[in-house]
Amino acid sequence: MTLLSWFEWVDAFPTSIAIRESIYGYPYLLTAHAVSMALFAGLIVMMDLRLLGFAYRRTPLSQVQQRLFPWQMSTMVLASLTGLVLLYGQPMRYYGKAFFWIKMALMVAAGVNALAFHRTTYRSVAAWDSDAVAPLGARVAGAFSLVLWAGVVAFGRLTAYNWFTYQ
Amino acid sequence: MLLPFFQWIESLGFSASIDPSGYVTAAVNVMHLLALTVFVGALLVVDLRLLGRGMKQQPLAEVARDAQPWLIGGFLAMLSTGVPQILATPIKEYYSPHFWLKMEVILVALIFTFTVRRMIAQAGEGRVAPVWRKLVALVSIGMWTTVATAGRLIGLMS
Repeated sequence: MTLLSWFEWVDAFPTSIAIRESIYGYPYLLTAHAVSMALFAGLIVMMDLRLLGFAYRRTPLSQVQQRLFPWQMSTMVLASLTGLVLLYGQPMRYYGKAFFWIKMALMVAAGVNALAFHRTTYRSVAAWDSDAVAPLGARVAGAFSLVLWAGVVAFGRLTAYNWFTYQ
Repeated sequence: MLLPFFQWIESLGFSASIDPSGYVTAAVNVMHLLALTVFVGALLVVDLRLLGRGMKQQPLAEVARDAQPWLIGGFLAMLSTGVPQILATPIKEYYSPHFWLKMEVILVALIFTFTVRRMIAQAGEGRVAPVWRKLVALVSIGMWTTVATAGRLIGLMS
């Protein structure tokens, strides 16, 4: 089965049609998605600013990371759930949008960046935890995270427009 | 009462003359959202700390002081990307109940954030009962979430 046939299959579900045809479904779902995304991205940005040595320099990096992590995860779950329901309600609308797929790709890249940082530079965190400016690897990871998540927010917003929409 | 003012802004033809394609409007909206993430992040870090969560091993006043420039900077960036959006679509804003709700809550939330919340965050933790800190955090999160929600709804339901 191709990706397109999966999207077409979901598109025909009665519950998908119900969301699509409901008057308030889209505005309220999109609003919940945008607000939970702001909460999530806000907490990510704060951690990135610490990685870059721009903010919370007096707080050990591992504390910013570990203490914000559960809140980043819970708000990410909220944003993901509302996002999945939006996609479920209008799969064919999003399938043809270049901006939607760019957003998905940027999210994957942001995930890979976070994972790579944790597997490499972050392993030695004990040695530089309280340094105001973290090692280069941490700063690079913070810069990538900042740019990639900004891209996710930007392309998420732009997905609502009809630019670069195909079929 | 304010309608003539909004009609006057409309008569300036701000959006139609400088942005017929809509690209500038979209870019300003995206920048408004990016500013929002900085503001919300700086807000949440302190509100979580007030709730006794988040970065709780650091002194509250220190977390609040470190977050403050990002909170103020984020707000100013939102203001400078928000006002042009009002100038671009003044009549739409005037007739949107969500726009007026957003403006009213911003006013109250701003005063609250820079008086009560600021005092509680900077007071020594022994001087204020934890319940007050938690209340302040919940009011803060509630009001600013309302602002974001109403803001998003301006564009969706007018």
